[in-house]
Parts: sequence; C-alpha cells; structure tokens
Amino acid sequence: MVDFARVQKELADCNRDMAISGVSIMLHGNGNDLSHLSGTITGPLATPYEGGTFQIDIRLPEGYPFEPPKMQFVTKVWHPNISSQNGAICLDILKDQWSPALTLKTALLSLQALLSAPEPDDPQDAVVAQQYLRDYQTFMGTARYWTETFAKRSSIGTEEKVQKLL
Amino acid sequence: MSKRILCKFFAHGACLKGEHCEFSHDWKDQPNNICTFYQRGVCSYGSRCRYDHVKVSRPQTSVSSSSTNSLQNLASDSVQVTHPSSVAFSGQTTNVPSVPAELSALSRPFVPFSRPSWSHDTGVHKFSDDENGWDSTITQPADRPICSFAAAGSCPRGEGCPHIHGDLCATCGKHCLHPYRPDERDEHIKTCERKKKHLEALKHSQEIECSVCLDRVLSKPTAAERKFGLLSECNHPFCISCIRNWRNNSPASGMDVNTALRACPICRKLSYFVIPSVIWYSTKEEKQEIIDSYKAKLRSIDCRYFDFGNGTCPFGTSCFYKHAYRDGSLEEVVLRHLGAEDGDTVIAKDIRLSDFLANLHLRFLIFIADIYRLEVPKYLFCCPCYTPLLQKCVVQDLLAGDPNGGLTTGHGQL
Repeated sequence: MVDFARVQKELADCNRDMAISGVSIMLHGNGNDLSHLSGTITGPLATPYEGGTFQIDIRLPEGYPFEPPKMQFVTKVWHPNISSQNGAICLDILKDQWSPALTLKTALLSLQALLSAPEPDDPQDAVVAQQYLRDYQTFMGTARYWTETFAKRSSIGTEEKVQKLL
Repeated sequence: MSKRILCKFFAHGACLKGEHCEFSHDWKDQPNNICTFYQRGVCSYGSRCRYDHVKVSRPQTSVSSSSTNSLQNLASDSVQVTHPSSVAFSGQTTNVPSVPAELSALSRPFVPFSRPSWSHDTGVHKFSDDENGWDSTITQPADRPICSFAAAGSCPRGEGCPHIHGDLCATCGKHCLHPYRPDERDEHIKTCERKKKHLEALKHSQEIECSVCLDRVLSKPTAAERKFGLLSECNHPFCISCIRNWRNNSPASGMDVNTALRACPICRKLSYFVIPSVIWYSTKEEKQEIIDSYKAKLRSIDCRYFDFGNGTCPFGTSCFYKHAYRDGSLEEVVLRHLGAEDGDTVIAKDIRLSDFLANLHLRFLIFIADIYRLEVPKYLFCCPCYTPLLQKCVVQDLLAGDPNGGLTTGHGQL
C-alpha cells in the first residue's frame, strides 16, 4: 500500500520551494490518483540542457516508499544515461540503491544532477554514449538541439518553426 | 476484638454485610474513629478531619479531652463521635509508629495546592492541640513528619507550624526534603533528577520525525507505532514500523540485503539489529543504556528456536534470547579456534556434513578452474543466499558449459 500521507507531504514540501530548486511535482493529467504523478525539472545551467524544462512521468509502486518510484522522461533528451527512444533512466538510486529516506524531490534533484554529470561508462543509450565519448562536440550540439526542440516551452509558435525549417 | 468495634457503615444506617460483618452492629459498642493518615504522619484534612487525630501512644485521657472535643465542634455529620475507648487501643502497640521510609514526601497522600479556606480560623486552635501531642511523644526530630503544606508551596502557619518544614529540593522546587532523614533526602533527590531527565528526554523526543514516513514518531495514531527504532551503528531516527518494514523488504527488486536493506536509509551504514525504544536519546551513554536494558530484557526470555536445548537457534551464540535448558543451566558456549592459512586464528562454527561436501565441490571447482585458467576467489559467498558462491552459482554455470557465465552473471556477481 502506498503511503499517501507521505506522498502528500512530499508534494507540499517539494512545491514550496520550486522556484529555488527548479523541480516540481503535480498530479498526472487532471486525475486525482496520487500514485501517478508528473514531475518537471529545469535543465541545469552551463549544460546543453540549460533553459529546457523536462517532464518526467512518475509512477509509485505499491510498496512505496520501500520500493523506488518508477520514473521516465516524457520530454525527449539526448543524454548517455537516458534512452533517446523511450526516456528510460539509468540511475542507481532508482534501482538497487534506493532508500526510503529518499523522496520524490531528492530523486528529481538527482536527475537534475545526472543531466549535468553524465556517466557514459554506464550507459542507457549506447549510441549517445558512444557519441559522447568519441565526438563530444557533436554530442553537445545534438543535446542542445534536442533541448531547443523538445524541452523549450513553445516561445515560438508552430508556424514559425515550420518557417525556420523551410 | 474487631467484633467489639462499631461498624461505621452500620452507624450510617447501611451495612451491606449484615450479620456477616466483622465489625459490631451493636450501638453499645464504640466505633474506631482514628484517622489512619494522621497516625502515619500527615492527614491533609487537618483539624477538619472527621476522624480522631490521635497518636496511639498517647495517654488516652488527653486524647479524648483534646482532639475529640475540637472535633465535636467541627464535625457536622450524623456520626456519633464518642470518646475512643481504651478498648479499641488495648491490643495495639504502644510505641510511636515510626514513619516508614517509603512514606517520603513524594508518596504522601494528596495535598491540596491552594490555601485551604479553613486554615485561618481553625489552624491556631488545632496546632495547639497537636503541639502538646508532638512534644509529649516525639523527641527524635527524624521521627517528626514534614509539613505537607510547606512541601506543596506555602504553609499558612508559617513559623508557628508544629511540623518540620522541609528543605528546598533544587530539582522540583518544593520544600520536601526532610532535614533529619538523609536516606529519604538522597532517595528523593535521585528520583527527582531521574524524573526530570526523563521528562526532558520525552519532550525532546516529541519533536523527532521519522525520516521514512515523515511523521513525528510520538504522534502516530496507535501506541504500537509510537516507538523509535534505534540502529546500532548510527544515530538517525526512524519509527520502529518503518525501519522494520524496510529491513524486512523482499530483496526481489534487485536490492542487496547487506548493502541496501541492512544499511541506514540515510547514511547507509550497516547495522545488524534494531532496538525499539519509546524515547529518543541525546547522548551516547543514553543510547547504550537503552540498548543494554533492551538486551537484558530479551536475555530473560527463553529463545523459542533453542527450545530448552531441543531445537537449534540459527543465531547461535549471538542470539539475544536466553539459551537455557529445562534444569535452568545455561547453554555452554565452546568456541573452537582454528588456525587459518595466514597464521591467524579463526573461530570455527559447527561443522556440518554439507559443509564438507561443499568443500568437495570446491576442490572439484578449483580443478575445473585450473583447466579453464580462471582465477577462483575462494572465500566469496553469495550475498542473497549466503552459500559459498563457488558451490552454487559457478558450478552450475561451469557445468552448463559457460565458463565465464558464473563469474559475471551468476546469483551474486563477483
């Protein structure tokens, strides 16, 4: 059984200082299911992800907080430890290094840290990892482009985008 | 003798025991109207008490003249106050009943805090009676009781009080230390300090939150949940249910028992046991005290695995519970020291046949490993199942024809 009292506390605690921490958690969609949430993190400064806002789908398993939450990027990201196909994340604290003292907020902050410190030696996406190791400049370019394309709130409208492409 | 004392319920007109009553239901008999509180030292009703304030050692004449007269003036009930006859006292001791040590200021009968309204008009009248009594009977200051009014705050009689006014206890702030009873003083100071310490610790504990459920541990809904689970190796607070839940978590999700589940969720320091406690500690000594008292409690309970020698306890000599046989003798622990290869001594466990067979497997394995030119670490044990790694994982994988498989993907990874 998910400890909903704790989840509610976590939500309140996380959203209290979202302006400073850069992470926030909402209920998924318009539902009222506390075990299906959606988190957002801002891309860390001085990385190709700067300026982007990344959506993360969070599902709480029955055993939460004694089992890790299931997290997946909804926004497409170009990162060695995040699948470019489905957004799956390779992070130890979401797997065997989970601890019940961790919270959704700390997990999201860890994801933010993962964005600024990739681990190409333990990759989730082999293509990205190889590019990171062999051609760092291209990796940076692609990551920045993906951030620009998928993670920016559409400051420019769809038409302009089409214009730009043409 | 008691048959000759008038039943006080009968005197009021309603004794439920009827003719089986051990007291007399005959109006001719005298009631025993002596205040037992007064006899033991202090009666908080003072002169307003409906019972006779007499000391048994006093000459009966003076008793009846002084205290019952004053009582008759005051008492407004229908109780027939008669002079306590010498019959009622004849069998009792004539010595001054020495106040027992348990009757220290702490265990005195309840004393009202507010100034009693009657104290002004009757106080003077009363203690003059008392004074005669005390002076004539009690000479040892240690036998005199301390004033309960002074102990509770202020004594309306001030300097003229016939009782001893106790010294101030620095801890509880009450004048309840008997100046002439050193044992009682020490006892009071000790209990008082212990109580104060406990209260402070409890107050401090109220604030502590469990890091897992994020609730205050002592504000949990059920009493069973309002307990801390102390980890032996670190000082992070959890409630007992949360930490036990985490440690009992099935390691199915790929988590390792030793590195994840037995570790503190916060600092990941490995602790082998959890100690339940209703109070949180602030110093190392306090923690040790909690652990020691918990272990001492468990040591008095018979281990159900050991079962008075009929069973075997998987925890062996490190079991917290009592390993004793039916005749009360404790299990004798004989540790066998063996010389290890590097010259150190190791403590041997009970050797089982399966261990020997496993050893055979091991030799066979090393032999195979030699063929495949693999380096076989000898002392690795599988983390989840605690069997020697080479016995289970590698053997199967090796025999399945995949010499490398066991070393990289086996039960526990090397």
